[in-house]
Amino acid sequence: MPKTKSLIRFGAHIVILSVSLFGMLLSSIATAAERPDFTGAWTTYRGNPGAAGGPSRFMGAELKLTPQAEKARQDFISITEGTNHGAGNSCVGGGMPGSMLGSGGYPMEIIQRPEQVFVIYEAHTEIRRFYIGDEAENPDSFFPERNGYSTAHWEGDRLIVETTRLKTQVDSRYPHSNQASIREEYYIDEPLADGTRVLAADLIMTDSLWLEEPLVTTKRWQALPDYHVLTYECSEPVWLDEMEMLYEEAGLEMVQE
Amino acid sequence: MKNFIKYTAVIATTLLFSASLYAHHSAAQFDFGNTVLVEGKVMEVRFANPHLRLILEVTDDARGTRDIEFEGHSRNNMRRQGLMPDMFIEGDTVTIRIAPMRNGEDGGYVTALRTPSGEEIGRVSGAD
Repeated sequence: MPKTKSLIRFGAHIVILSVSLFGMLLSSIATAAERPDFTGAWTTYRGNPGAAGGPSRFMGAELKLTPQAEKARQDFISITEGTNHGAGNSCVGGGMPGSMLGSGGYPMEIIQRPEQVFVIYEAHTEIRRFYIGDEAENPDSFFPERNGYSTAHWEGDRLIVETTRLKTQVDSRYPHSNQASIREEYYIDEPLADGTRVLAADLIMTDSLWLEEPLVTTKRWQALPDYHVLTYECSEPVWLDEMEMLYEEAGLEMVQE
Repeated sequence: MKNFIKYTAVIATTLLFSASLYAHHSAAQFDFGNTVLVEGKVMEVRFANPHLRLILEVTDDARGTRDIEFEGHSRNNMRRQGLMPDMFIEGDTVTIRIAPMRNGEDGGYVTALRTPSGEEIGRVSGAD
């Protein structure tokens, strides 16, 4: 009799476990199904030029800088205004949030994998990687960069991206200190009238040192189906000029194009 | 190629609205409210990013014959406007549409270009 009871109890456990596992499986399938695929080429939204995130909006004007930031910004302007000096002219990409909010109106490409989302901005071939789940490491173990270090997770059909480890930047339309952090929320928005897909991202940049209040804005893109984003070779001419000078000094003929 | 052309208009329009010179450097020295056509012999050309570099031998009554260096859109944007490799070579005569220098000096920002065979990158002529 005790043996039969044990068998019944064991069987019940198996049934409960199976039901639980089946439920978890269904739940994960449902969650994965909710997640949109952002993969593809996108360009700045022009469905309605006056709309938030549309192309005619100059969002940099909305920044409320602290006196410390304002001084740093004005110092930079005083040495570069009216000159050819600029990050882009030196083949340096905008960095966040400029790469995401502006990027000169150039297209971008997204490649989405379950554990990582890549964003390639055509201008300066700036690449951002959003690490998801176990792929994400402790941001503090990485050196600060212009685009920072980004981790991400899904909340239903929205991809939430948190970016930290940013460098202090005065050479951006969106100046910030190295204390800045950026939260982006990506989602598929209402399509254009012709059915073209629209991607949107709500952005909040906080910076206790340089911003009086967070920068809050929304950026939209429209899909470019089957479009190939171009490579952006920028620094090669600088090297070619250097080579030309060396060959000239040596009295040799330079054959490289 | 088909898709490239198809989306050129979309991206080009976007660039018009988004200050395509953006953070490369200040564009204050160029008068974008003005349009000037310049014809000259190509002495040197470098289709590059972030900007085109073009040196033309230009002759006019006021200043005679001299080499003038111009700047222009990035190679990527000119590609979307119709630029193809080997459309013209050094020694060819081309016509360019520029935003001239505000201070009246030689030079300017190339916004469109017509090759010897009449192919256009952007619109050389036409209303602003």
